[in-house]
Amino acid sequence: MTTRRDFIRASAVGAAASAAGIAVPASFAETATTAAPADVKWSKAPCRFCGTGCGVQVAVQAGRVVATHGDADAEVNRGLNCVKGYFLSKIMYGTDRLTTPLLRKKDGQFSKDGDFEPVSWDEAFDVMAAQFKRVLKAKGGTGIGMAGSGQWTVWEGYAANKLMKAGFRSNHIDPNARHCMASAVTGFMRTFGMDEPMGCYDDFEAADAFVLWGSNMAEMHPILWTRVTDRRLSHDHVKVAVLSTFEHRSFDLADIPIIFKPQTDLAILNYIANHIIQSGKVNEDFVRKHVSFKRGNDDIGYGLRPDNPLELKARNAKDAGGSTPIDFDAFKEFVEPYTLDYAAELSGVEKGFLKHLAELYADPKVKVMSLWTMGFNQHTRGTWANNMVYNIHLLTGKIATPGNSPFSLTGQPSACGTAREVGTFSHRLPADLVVTNPEHRKHAEEIWKLPDGLIVDKVGYHIVEQNRMLKDGKLNAYWVMANNNMQAAANLGNEGYPGYRNPDNFIVVSDPYPTVTAQAADLILPTAMWVEKEGAYGNAERRTQFWHQLVKAPGEARSDLWQLMEFSKRFTTDECWPAELLAANPAYKGKTLFEVLYRNGKVDRFAPGEVEAGYANDEAAAFGFYPQKGLFEEYAEFGRGHGHDLAPFDEYHKARGLRWPVVNGKETRWRYKEGTDPYVKPGSDWQFYGNKDGRAVIWALPYEPPAESPDTDYDLWLATGRVLEHWHSGSMTMRVPELYKAFPSAVVFMNPDDAKARGLKRGDEVKVISRRGEMRSRVETRGRNRVPSGLVFVPWFDAAQLINKTTLDATCPISKQTDFKKCAVKVVMA
Amino acid sequence: MRGLLIRALLPLVAAASLAACGSKHEETPRKAPSAPVVITNAGQQIDAIRRGVPIDKEASPLPMARVENFDRVRPVNYEMQPPTIPHAIDNYQLTVNTNRCMLCHTRSNAKKFQAPPVSDAHYLTRDGKVLEEISSRRYFCVQCHVVQTDAEPLVANRFEGLNTTLAKEEKQ
Amino acid sequence: MIGGRLRTIWLRVWGWIKPFWTTVWRPSLHFSMGFLTLGGFIAGIIFWGGFNTAMEATNTEAFCTSCHEMNDNVFAELKTTIHYNNRSGVRAVCSDCHVPHNWTDKMGRKMQASKEVWGKIFGSIESREKFLDKRLELAKHEWARLKANDSLECRNCHQYDSMDLTRQSPRAGQIHQQYLGTGQKTCIDCHKGIAHHLPNMKGIPQG
Repeated sequence: MTTRRDFIRASAVGAAASAAGIAVPASFAETATTAAPADVKWSKAPCRFCGTGCGVQVAVQAGRVVATHGDADAEVNRGLNCVKGYFLSKIMYGTDRLTTPLLRKKDGQFSKDGDFEPVSWDEAFDVMAAQFKRVLKAKGGTGIGMAGSGQWTVWEGYAANKLMKAGFRSNHIDPNARHCMASAVTGFMRTFGMDEPMGCYDDFEAADAFVLWGSNMAEMHPILWTRVTDRRLSHDHVKVAVLSTFEHRSFDLADIPIIFKPQTDLAILNYIANHIIQSGKVNEDFVRKHVSFKRGNDDIGYGLRPDNPLELKARNAKDAGGSTPIDFDAFKEFVEPYTLDYAAELSGVEKGFLKHLAELYADPKVKVMSLWTMGFNQHTRGTWANNMVYNIHLLTGKIATPGNSPFSLTGQPSACGTAREVGTFSHRLPADLVVTNPEHRKHAEEIWKLPDGLIVDKVGYHIVEQNRMLKDGKLNAYWVMANNNMQAAANLGNEGYPGYRNPDNFIVVSDPYPTVTAQAADLILPTAMWVEKEGAYGNAERRTQFWHQLVKAPGEARSDLWQLMEFSKRFTTDECWPAELLAANPAYKGKTLFEVLYRNGKVDRFAPGEVEAGYANDEAAAFGFYPQKGLFEEYAEFGRGHGHDLAPFDEYHKARGLRWPVVNGKETRWRYKEGTDPYVKPGSDWQFYGNKDGRAVIWALPYEPPAESPDTDYDLWLATGRVLEHWHSGSMTMRVPELYKAFPSAVVFMNPDDAKARGLKRGDEVKVISRRGEMRSRVETRGRNRVPSGLVFVPWFDAAQLINKTTLDATCPISKQTDFKKCAVKVVMA
Repeated sequence: MRGLLIRALLPLVAAASLAACGSKHEETPRKAPSAPVVITNAGQQIDAIRRGVPIDKEASPLPMARVENFDRVRPVNYEMQPPTIPHAIDNYQLTVNTNRCMLCHTRSNAKKFQAPPVSDAHYLTRDGKVLEEISSRRYFCVQCHVVQTDAEPLVANRFEGLNTTLAKEEKQ
Repeated sequence: MIGGRLRTIWLRVWGWIKPFWTTVWRPSLHFSMGFLTLGGFIAGIIFWGGFNTAMEATNTEAFCTSCHEMNDNVFAELKTTIHYNNRSGVRAVCSDCHVPHNWTDKMGRKMQASKEVWGKIFGSIESREKFLDKRLELAKHEWARLKANDSLECRNCHQYDSMDLTRQSPRAGQIHQQYLGTGQKTCIDCHKGIAHHLPNMKGIPQG
């Protein structure tokens, strides 16, 4: 299972060290000093946490995971893990793992008012199916919704997408990745016509400059940060610029540290474009051949409820994504007002720093890698910010070649692999297809072997809208899988909790642990996690990685895949599809959804015996076929030959992941560039084939103010985010004692002067209050984040301190992704 | 059935009782939902991290935990787990300019400062070359090594490491 | 070039001072020797008191941080450290560490400070960027000064004789005994950057 090359390597060093008389205390040597016992088996798996996609080696002994360490053969991390990764082995063993379904009951019956009682899977699914059928009967598929995840395995997302969009004929399926990646997606689609980065992690070793636009990689993508650090510290010419609204650990490596006022990154981006043009550094040949120009609609609102005054006031709230074609001269004129003086004034950043930053991009000899995560994506102009950073790379032609790389990082292990590539968004189908395009729908129906016209042509509710619709009683049967959206979504008290507890609604939550979301549910389904099932994730560099089931889930916990497929057996096509459709396609009449979706001759085409020897597969055992392989091969049909080519299933169990498109057995590192991308037409040099004309789009977009800014009543900016030790809502990491003890509770990071002005001391209990609600926390004036006066930062991992009671559910109107980085609060002594 | 439930929720009951001390601070959130939605029974509390406090309520946060500062190496769960830091690291500068940790934990100084030196693997580059100084990919120590506070975990963990298992076997 | 500029400035300053100087330098025509002596004595006291008061005023934190250069850089950095915020509430202000306490050394330091006024006028660290570029040079001055005076300003508060080593963490206690107690090292040898961010320390011994 493992060559454990690092062991041998490290042991060799150890021998050399001891020969030189250097003592290495056993506890500090990460080399294996004792041979592993024979009953220990090591296998590969990707890490369960962020989108970096590190490879780990997992040791299993007597049916339990007993150790994990970085996989030396994994290209992404070459043996390293961050502190979360090193403690992966513990995430499955919190004492409060859910081991049986829990249903709210009173007097032996389901009751919305009841207390949770353990029930059998049969009872759980009986009640759940009855509730779903109640809604189907009353409203059809439009009353049913699902909140999914970038933590779903590829086939779980794919199976869920089929169940919802084809089975229940509801497009109200959306992943929590909406909170995380949606602006990156719309940014890619608008500029390149095709999702996901053109470059890859190999750019880290080739770039001369790194620019972090709203990303704290030091804590959120630590292993990629080791690659930035490695490059910066071992090459003197390399520069690192870090932009943020407060100073965090990534600033520890910064040559150009930039703290800007919230939202003004838009002005800085346009200033850089203007600087490139004014200083004559436009790569004219590249721009002439490979770029077109558009002016985007402005004044597009803030993605709030349509009756919000801000939406009523916005001129283009209804056509946020609209545009008109322009030319280079018009673009030049558009960015001309964004001078150094204007950008400095608006952003509050020193001119010297801004100029140096602009020069990194402008200098044709400097290969620049731009990196971003939530600072850009969770932004009421998130799509714009993404478009605007591509503008800079396109003006200079610094794109799709080693080291020249605008790179959108991801927060979840399979935000790319599942949420995006499988298309579990409310508007998407696999491989960049969309539900609004009749050809795309037809293509999907053909691959799925389902009747023409089955898939609904309207975009479903996105995840923010789902909460609103639950509250409004439009969505009544709701299944939450592999996410903790009650804790994660903004404006919890007004837009999250009421919908879950709305008596008209039936809420199902599948999770390994009793989360805040599970607490708000009516039925909780105990779920297998990580290596308790066979899985596949896709990381931020298009790398698809597989793992085998290594241990059994505790008690009656079952994988999401089993839950989806098993639940589908309880519905017939007659209950879910319109009579006319069935009349026209009588072959489908009277079939269960399980039969038409998963017993379709494709998904069930591989026998359980094809599971690699030595590994269990509980789903294959349960269904009598190898569903992971069948689902994957059916799904892969969408992308093969269309620029999303995936390798054959079995290849991924051998390789440490492969970056798509995988053509003729070869992965692709740089897309859109001749020589490295097999899809580029010979002689074209670059070809942005996602767009019909082969050109990428430079977008003229302005600076616009945020939805809410501090005023006299609510005088501080609130930014939320993460810390190194905890991953997202903390449902896994808060149950690992070492990680918990490293950072046990959320705090309000506050500038010492702001604290003093409010009569507050470090450790004081305070209330963080916004127009939407309040939460209690403690003041931190020291620690790892140094915030400027006028801004507080509160991490959201702590279920005991639900900061999303205060956040505003404003979104980018194009991507519908919430801006968790900007709203107005006050902080007072509790 | 009830018995099963009680057993399943036992660790949570303990946690819930913890929250009693915070309950006197509870109050209704200032902003009630605008639409007339009836919040039905929140049910018994199952998320141990919330210490028994319903979602729509706020409890007093736990006191700020203190970093353990006793300088004794803690045991690891299994080989290759990075040891946790047994001392405070407040204001230890770890930046592009300087690395305070390596002042003591570098091979050449470790003895002088009675600190455990970092393992040999820290001297390997991404390509496996052996260096004199710590590899720059390992430069930011705190990405893998973290301090520990005196906070009591809210949920226990049943993990048993490879080491423990081995030790058991040897005993038998 | 700098010499030329200095001369220009001196000539201008001399132009202001000259009238007063010539008046004061002439022998008195109207007042007795005794009056002048007594008057000089009283004036001396007033002048001396005023001078010292003014000197003390320049030692306050408010004075030091009245320039944005100090306020936005070193003072902001100090605020998250133990010398600003700690258990007992005893804290250091700028002058505690950066101005000697005995009079002669203090005057020496204040004379040096005139160079900082110069820096302020010419904006040598007017931006964060310029400050960062110059930090190594500025820090080196302070390290050299503290090294030369055996960390005098540290020792004004932290006296080895008064340290209860058993109340320190075990390793700190041992190290202090071994290196500080024996006089092998002085505070600044190991404790650089305790109150402010460090410049690039390549080649600078830290312990």
